[in-house]
Amino acid sequence: MTAPSNLLQGTLDLLILKTLTLGEKHGVAIARRIEQVTRGTFVVKPGSLFPALHRMEEAGWLTSSWGASDNNRRARYYQLTRAGRQQLKTETREWGRISLAIAAALRG
Amino acid sequence: MIWTSRLASLWRNLVHRRRREGDLDEEVRAYAAILEDENVARGLPPEEARRQALIEMGGLEQVKEDVRAVKMGAFLETIGRDVRYGARTLARAPGFTVAAVLALALGIGATTAIFGVVDAVLLRPLPYNQPERLAVVLHGGRYPVAPANYLDWRREASAFERMGAAEYWQTNLSGADRPERVLGLHLTADVLPLLGVSPLLGRVFTPDEEKAGRDQVVVLGYRIWQRRFGGDPSVVGRTVALDGVPHAVVGVMPRGFEFPPFWARGAELWAPLPMAERAAARRDGRSLRVFGRLRPDSSLEQARAQMATITARLDQAYPATNRDVVVRTLDDMVVGNVRSSLLVLLGAVGFVLLIACANVAHMLLARAAARHKEIALRVALGASRARVVRQLLTESLMLASAGGLVGLALAAWMIRALVALSGDSLPRLETAGLDPRVLAATLAVSFLTGIAFGLVPALQASRLDLGMSLKEGERGSTAGAGRHRLRRLLMGSEMALALVLLVGAGLMIRTFVALRAVDPGFRPGHVLSAVVSVTGSSAGEPGRRTAFYREVLDRLHALPGVVSASAINHLPLAGDIWGWPFYVEGRPRPAPGEAPGATYRVVLPGYFETMGLPLVRGRDFGLRDDLGAPGVVIVNELLAERHWPGEDPIGKRISLEDPDKQAWLTVVGVARNGVRREWAEAAGAEMFLPFLQSPNYREAMRPMFTYMTLVVRGTGESAVLGPALREAIWDTDPDVSISAVQTMDEVVARATASPRLYLLLLGSFAAVALALAAVGIYGVMSYSVAQRRNEIGIRMALGARPADVLRLVMGEAMGVAVAGAAAGLAAALALTRLMSGLLYGVASTDPLTFAAVCAVLTAVALTATYVPARRAVRVDPLSALRAE
Repeated sequence: MTAPSNLLQGTLDLLILKTLTLGEKHGVAIARRIEQVTRGTFVVKPGSLFPALHRMEEAGWLTSSWGASDNNRRARYYQLTRAGRQQLKTETREWGRISLAIAAALRG
Repeated sequence: MIWTSRLASLWRNLVHRRRREGDLDEEVRAYAAILEDENVARGLPPEEARRQALIEMGGLEQVKEDVRAVKMGAFLETIGRDVRYGARTLARAPGFTVAAVLALALGIGATTAIFGVVDAVLLRPLPYNQPERLAVVLHGGRYPVAPANYLDWRREASAFERMGAAEYWQTNLSGADRPERVLGLHLTADVLPLLGVSPLLGRVFTPDEEKAGRDQVVVLGYRIWQRRFGGDPSVVGRTVALDGVPHAVVGVMPRGFEFPPFWARGAELWAPLPMAERAAARRDGRSLRVFGRLRPDSSLEQARAQMATITARLDQAYPATNRDVVVRTLDDMVVGNVRSSLLVLLGAVGFVLLIACANVAHMLLARAAARHKEIALRVALGASRARVVRQLLTESLMLASAGGLVGLALAAWMIRALVALSGDSLPRLETAGLDPRVLAATLAVSFLTGIAFGLVPALQASRLDLGMSLKEGERGSTAGAGRHRLRRLLMGSEMALALVLLVGAGLMIRTFVALRAVDPGFRPGHVLSAVVSVTGSSAGEPGRRTAFYREVLDRLHALPGVVSASAINHLPLAGDIWGWPFYVEGRPRPAPGEAPGATYRVVLPGYFETMGLPLVRGRDFGLRDDLGAPGVVIVNELLAERHWPGEDPIGKRISLEDPDKQAWLTVVGVARNGVRREWAEAAGAEMFLPFLQSPNYREAMRPMFTYMTLVVRGTGESAVLGPALREAIWDTDPDVSISAVQTMDEVVARATASPRLYLLLLGSFAAVALALAAVGIYGVMSYSVAQRRNEIGIRMALGARPADVLRLVMGEAMGVAVAGAAAGLAAALALTRLMSGLLYGVASTDPLTFAAVCAVLTAVALTATYVPARRAVRVDPLSALRAE
């Protein structure tokens, strides 16, 4: 992740988890999807994406396997696990709490 | 579930590292390829598409490195890299590495060895069930108990679940081989069950077997079972001859079982104690050691209080029979008197380790200064402070591990040497070795050592000012005040620690000198001794015994190189001690139990000449002092002075029986006072009776009367008489057993083994400490001089004379040395009190020792400082300044 939104690491995790609810994707697709849904606010660079994906896979939230891309290139596809969905729920709840709190703080 | 996933990843990362790397590489390349495809699709030319893709990737290697850093086990891989890097660094400085590893090996090795000893002797529980519940009941905490008293105590002391008694027993085990003299115990049936150890084979005794006539059964120890019976299980039920009497083997005790753990250590046979026979004995025939197991609901204090009540009442009923009865835990009995000595040793060796740590810390500080640029470079390239500290600590731990490995070899050697040197001075020492507990301790000590000497230098080294350090030509300015203070602190502590150890060693030297000056009364050189037991042989039959001893002595006299030969019932320092009450003619009859006592010795003619124990008055016994002749006795000076002060004791009479019996013995000689049981104990009253006038020794079959210790004085090396001595005995009667063949020099050496051991250990620790401290001071000063080269150059350029520079450099060092020594003196004054139990003939605050140690240490510190200071004086001002 790069400026302008150098946010918490958890944010990237949350976005990746959310992105994968729609089905398995390879790295570039994940990055493009995040760019798209955040309307370009988040530009995910490989330097952030790769460590995040590997860390989350080791945590058991994702699994990965080799597959073929649209252009018939070999690519690594990531998929949510049950623990990953659980994690998404937890983090969504947490994010809601935090964003409300921060919004309240900024208002006051 | 999450954890299993993490563990599985860790496993894959570590074990299938190459495949993971391949996958990662492919994944990253695939990503770049897809980016490139996207760019081509957007209409960029291939070259540009590729370039853009790589820019977005931000460097393939960098991405892979970032992924590796978040992987499970990344930490382990970093350690692996740190270790490889550390190994290269250490290999580039072999002098430093070898010096540090050696210093640490000395410290860790000595600590491990002493810990091994402490573990075997003090920490490991005795080999019984719940040994902390076992107690010993003895007069004065060490002297035996009369059978009738034991029976009363056992009946009345309800604080004990069981109480049993043991009696010393030596017996001749005969069979196919030469008869063997074996140490054993007679036990009441309670003893083995109260220890809670089951036999390996067969059973232990039943109370029924305490009855005379049914008591011819024996339980074997593991070692004698292996040695004499080849470990044959069918030995149970077989019969063995003990003192010529057949005994049925009923059981074999397991390996590692030892009983008793004090006093008759090394007993290998256990037979029932016929109590009915013993109980008939008088209440002052004290021969039993009493053991008890506390009831689960009673404490040692309760047992003590109860025993105090019981013995007070018994003492009223039977005056002077139940005084000073002490209940001690068995553990206290076994190791109570070596505990403080061993803790002193452990403390001393800990000091050596601390000095070694301080020394290596010095070296690391000096090295850290030299590696300043390297470290600054790593920090500039993005290494965090924690990362630098971890790298430096890894190196320290590698040094400590290498030191630990070398130290382990040293410890193995030291433990073997200690076991060989200690004689009998440390109980259970023979079980010491590098077992898992000791290895674990070594590991822990090495690790802590690595942290201890490495952490502060690492923290110091990592705290640096980048700008300063990277500048060309920085020098001198790097040694900040903090680091300088630290180095002086280390040097001062080394002085202090070394001083404490030197004082300890000095006090041991003084002790040893004092012990060497002890006059044993006899002259041990050229004397060989051997215990001869006639039980079970024809020589032992009543009426034959006197002839047997005379024939053996005649044969010995006839040997070339033999000056004289004789025998005594109990050899000083090695044998038993029997106290015996006596009455002095013409004195009022003392109250019951109040008669004076003296050590009871029975000797053959020629004993005093053979031992070189001078008769200061009167004559030796002769062959005519026989049963038909008037009773005679020889007393020692102390007894004579105590009972006939200012009078001539010759011709005075004493009696060992009731004065009414008129069995008077006339004093015919006065012998010099000699040592009795312990080397440095105060002299006690002793009386010598002629063997020829002792019906017990001539006739009695009880084992306590059927052995004597032969002593032979030769003209040359006494040990060479051994074979001739055996031949002389076995030519006279092949069935008698011979044991404990030893020169008197050996007997004396064994009696002084423990101070010698402590001297050797404390002495070598102090020597190592002194050497390490000297190297440390030298190192600090050399480094300090090198650091201050340009300062000294400027001073000299401004007109300082060599003497001024010398004073400047040495003054600083000696200031630290004096402060360290002062701290050491204070610590030594406080600590040497703890070793007063080890000392003899010297106070723990002996001014001479303290002064001598201060002088030695000052001289060493001066020398270690002078050499680098001379180098400072030779600094050429011009070259020093040019180098700036």
